[in-house]
Amino acid sequence: MGETILQINHLSKAFGANVVLRDIDFTVEKGDVTSIIGASGSGKSTLLRCINLLETPTSGEILYHNQNVAGRKVKAAEYRSHVGMVFQSFNLFNNMTVLENCMVGQIKVLKKHKDEARQSALYYLQKVGMAPYINAKPRQISGGQKQRVAIARALAMEPEVLLFDEPTSALDPEMVGEVLTVMQKLAQEGMTMLVVTHEMAFARDVSTRVVYMNQGVICEQGTPEAIFGNPQRQETRDFLSRFRQQ
Amino acid sequence: MQKLIELASDVAALWGKYHSSYLTGIRNTLILAVVATVIGCLIGFVCGILNTIPHSKTDPPLKRFFLALIRVLVRIYVEVFRGTPMVLQAVFIFYGLPYFTDNSVQFSGLQGIWTAAILVVSINTGAYMAESVRGGIISIDPGQTEGAMAIGMTHVQTMLHVVLPQALRNILPQIGNNFIINLKDTSVMFIIGFTEFFATHKSVAGATFQYFPSAALEMVGYLCMTLVASFLLRWLEKRLDGDSSYELVQEDPLTMTAGTYKHPDKGSNFDERSKEYDGKEAR
Repeated sequence: MGETILQINHLSKAFGANVVLRDIDFTVEKGDVTSIIGASGSGKSTLLRCINLLETPTSGEILYHNQNVAGRKVKAAEYRSHVGMVFQSFNLFNNMTVLENCMVGQIKVLKKHKDEARQSALYYLQKVGMAPYINAKPRQISGGQKQRVAIARALAMEPEVLLFDEPTSALDPEMVGEVLTVMQKLAQEGMTMLVVTHEMAFARDVSTRVVYMNQGVICEQGTPEAIFGNPQRQETRDFLSRFRQQ
Repeated sequence: MQKLIELASDVAALWGKYHSSYLTGIRNTLILAVVATVIGCLIGFVCGILNTIPHSKTDPPLKRFFLALIRVLVRIYVEVFRGTPMVLQAVFIFYGLPYFTDNSVQFSGLQGIWTAAILVVSINTGAYMAESVRGGIISIDPGQTEGAMAIGMTHVQTMLHVVLPQALRNILPQIGNNFIINLKDTSVMFIIGFTEFFATHKSVAGATFQYFPSAALEMVGYLCMTLVASFLLRWLEKRLDGDSSYELVQEDPLTMTAGTYKHPDKGSNFDERSKEYDGKEAR
């Protein structure tokens, strides 16, 4: 349907002799909500970090609107400002308040005026329900709240696609819901999202596409109905049945 | 007891006669220590940043060469100035620079002495601070850097706005240490004729032969300076940490308390064992 934002061709990544990703081919289209599932160590997070160039791919290309961004380091910062990232451990700037966290990128990277940045930061903080906490420092708020601020910080850059690296894995169970609710809202508003997750219910109910990764390769991908209802590969079936038994 | 009273009266007499000399000494010591610590910190920060520029094997060879060269130069600077006594460094720079430049660089007159003293103490402090700053930068969670890079900040922006403010807070005790060391160690600058607090002692004692009372006065003087410095540094640390409370702007509509997101009847979208799910995927 939509235009292709990201196209990944033959992407591989090795840490020394340890090959983490093998020959990954993968596209992200506008409006896609893609969940990447798979066991720990299957390369999900590394794939996401490669897409945001936090890891340098060993080989292969990452096309952003048909321009290869892998390999040439020159435009990495500019490219990253279009591709938001939400981390497992939040990574909010500890020396800034909640509001400043959401403003600094707009001012320093997008060169927006302070008032304009403040306005848009407040808009996105409102959206994630963190507007009341603008004066708090990250160490003063809970994990779920931190993650919502991190989402607002990424949104404030108005990225074309938002990457989530296990956004709820570091949270206490009672905080998972508030973060997933925000993510679901974003998905419904048409935000293009790429989510590495262990929340199978989110993958099944919110995403438009599910990618199952196993040992550094994309084992199976398709609609949530197909992956959860009628998985083709034995590995996928084993993985999903492990989750159901819990 | 008798001796103590005697000492006190001797010190009082010295102070009465030479207090303007002592005060000038204290003033010069304070100015030199403050200025040199500030400049030393700046040198330390620059070296620390240069030392931590990310480098990888995929960089072009020229860039790799320059980065390696910078690291080697910083390393040499740190090792040389940390590993030799400041009193010798003072002699080397004060007499060495004119020697090597055939007197085209000279530290003549009072201004020359000030320049040389500030230069030596700053460079020395910088060598210590370079390592402290490097440690401070390393101590910041790499996640902070990744968070900044992920919103498109460059290395310099990440350093200036995210990493260094936090590193600065972490190494503030180190900066305080250096400042207090500088307050005392500037005394070796008498070797190039700088009239700081200790030099005053030498001249006063030389004129009056009251070595011990003058030394006692100096001890108290130095201790007062360092105590005030400690106090101010603690205050600064507290101030940088900021208030531990914050104000809410209004109520937060999205916060959910434990368990409420899991609706008992329907089961939410995110509930792994919602009723729909179990129905469809019955084992």
